[in-house]
Amino acid sequence: MRDSYDAIIVGAGHNGLTLGAYLARSGLEVLVLERRHEEGGGLCTEELTLSGFLHNVHANYHTFVDLAPPVHDLDVRGHGVEYVRPEVQMASIYGDGTALTVHTDLDKTCASIARFSEEDAETFRRLYVEAHGYVDLLLSTLMYQPPMSVKELTRALATFGVEDRSEFLSVKLRRETINQFLDQHFTHPKVKAHLAFHGAVCAYTNDVPGLAIGFPLLVGKIDNWHLCIGGSHRLAHALWRDLAQHGGVMVSDADVRAILVDGNRAVGVRLADGTEVVARKLVASTVSVEQTFLEFLEPSTVPEELRGRIKNDVKHKDWTLFSVHLAMSTLPEYSAAEFDPDVNRAWVVNLGYGSLEELNADFAAARAGQLPEPKPNAAVNSLYDPTDAPPGCATGLLRQFAPFAIAGGGEGEWESLGRWYGHRCIEAWRSHAPNLTDDVILDWVPYTPLEIAQKFPNMVRGDWMMGEVSLANMLDQRPLPELGQYRTPVEALYMAGSTQHPHGFITFAPAYNALQVIAEDLGIDTWWRQV
Amino acid sequence: MADIYTPDWYEEVRDAMNARVATMKDPPGGELQIKVEIYGDGVSPYVAEGSERHFLVRIEEGHCAWYREVEGDDPAVKLDYRFRGSGNTFDEIAAGLEDPITAALHGTVKVRGDMRFLMRQAEHVKVLLEAYATGVQTSWPLGRPPYAATQEEAVRA
Repeated sequence: MRDSYDAIIVGAGHNGLTLGAYLARSGLEVLVLERRHEEGGGLCTEELTLSGFLHNVHANYHTFVDLAPPVHDLDVRGHGVEYVRPEVQMASIYGDGTALTVHTDLDKTCASIARFSEEDAETFRRLYVEAHGYVDLLLSTLMYQPPMSVKELTRALATFGVEDRSEFLSVKLRRETINQFLDQHFTHPKVKAHLAFHGAVCAYTNDVPGLAIGFPLLVGKIDNWHLCIGGSHRLAHALWRDLAQHGGVMVSDADVRAILVDGNRAVGVRLADGTEVVARKLVASTVSVEQTFLEFLEPSTVPEELRGRIKNDVKHKDWTLFSVHLAMSTLPEYSAAEFDPDVNRAWVVNLGYGSLEELNADFAAARAGQLPEPKPNAAVNSLYDPTDAPPGCATGLLRQFAPFAIAGGGEGEWESLGRWYGHRCIEAWRSHAPNLTDDVILDWVPYTPLEIAQKFPNMVRGDWMMGEVSLANMLDQRPLPELGQYRTPVEALYMAGSTQHPHGFITFAPAYNALQVIAEDLGIDTWWRQV
Repeated sequence: MADIYTPDWYEEVRDAMNARVATMKDPPGGELQIKVEIYGDGVSPYVAEGSERHFLVRIEEGHCAWYREVEGDDPAVKLDYRFRGSGNTFDEIAAGLEDPITAALHGTVKVRGDMRFLMRQAEHVKVLLEAYATGVQTSWPLGRPPYAATQEEAVRA
């Protein structure tokens, strides 16, 4: 590590690495600093249970593959990333032993839905075809550029007469919940539950007003879920390789404690060991706004009003995830396979939510600090990745919608509840897959919301989306209007992580959009904008 | 009335666009270059299957400066937008049978470029597209969509 670089990026998650790689390819001298022992952030794959069992601790679902420009621009496949798109993407198994499966083959998905409602199957087909038609247009409009305001978008949609040209897009969606959208267009409770569940896994909670606006987009990529062979961390390696090949440097175990400001300009960082590194052109933070503005910057360098708004107005998700990672000597065999054999090949399985009301109730419970009766979702990566477990064995990942702080005891309660609740989640899985007896579960570990926050301080209160996902906290309002365009009140300091529009998940979009702003400010040639 | 995809037709399209822009209160400034790529789909008789026809449109101060057919991509030409679709789709748009905004929304015409600018200039974009789709009387020497078999039938259509 030298004394100075053109650009210093705080945080080597996928956004930090992505921004670093683009800037390095643009000829800047780039330093990416990571507090942890390795790059990747949420792209974290570890042998949590037994040797040879690779568990994606955080990011497991890559749904923007071939939709996000950086996948192509940074040649992640050329750097060794191999994606597989499971044929049976997702399933719901209901309490009565029936099941619904989502396939990469639209006809098969519609046939599965038709077993519950032929009308819903036809509606789904029309919704999918319509949404699939505009998914790349919407992504390039809404995600992969610095955000417009809701007002601007609404005006443009009205001018283009989108409502008259679309069955499903409507300006009124900006006030509606996903529940309302589903109630308007679909009839069968189980079909609605599955579609809402799919949204919830993407953090689009079904009962939050305004999120209906994003629902057609979610459906447009409902069959684009990819698994990173060998673990999600392979993507982090690829991004780091690209950075390094273009002269950038990533330093791990580099705990940034301060962003240095001269006048009103960010000029470098100070690490925990006292090392200071100069940033000649910019500093970009990909960690939380709380860390950036309340911890790293001297109070005198941040407007008092902004400090207050960060303390009081920055919104985080009001539920999080409790996980169980399992090492198993067999694959699950679901009782519901008698109804639909394809459930045994489904990558991600909703274990039990059969109505919107059940989802509503569990999100209400989580918000109140209560533990829902487990209906976890189960992902078995080994179905499609033969490298993630020893031959004949499999990994399992259970995730349950859960509170961060337990009512009456706070988040510290997770230290004593983790094993107990994990066991209950396994029992819930076993109730649908009776072959998962204790003898085939070789080992398992819980991973609690408290551990999320401890492992990744930027995921405040276990908020894996690094900010509430709601219309009020999207577009140019995220995380606050004065920070919504990736610039900050401190000159040459940018926000480029998932605190920014659009949100977390492996979208690459916050970094990609911050890049556009930085390029404009620094006069960097935008080689990546290949029209 | 000019034959479709001829220099005379391009001029008529340009004039139609500019006539409509002239009615706008405040057309946007600046310069834009738009590439239109039409690929043969085995349906349109104007673009052979497996081949492509490319067009370049230059917008200056909101008005169409010129509209011309070009060969492939010229690296020296900086593009702001690229529209791409099948011969049949573009023929139908020119014939007023397909709405260009619907075509973009449904993905039959793919749009690449700065979508934020395009959304902010929605009124202007809409005027240009409507002029293209409905502002020109077009002659169809090889048949009008849905492509009558003979020229006589095309004329009757």
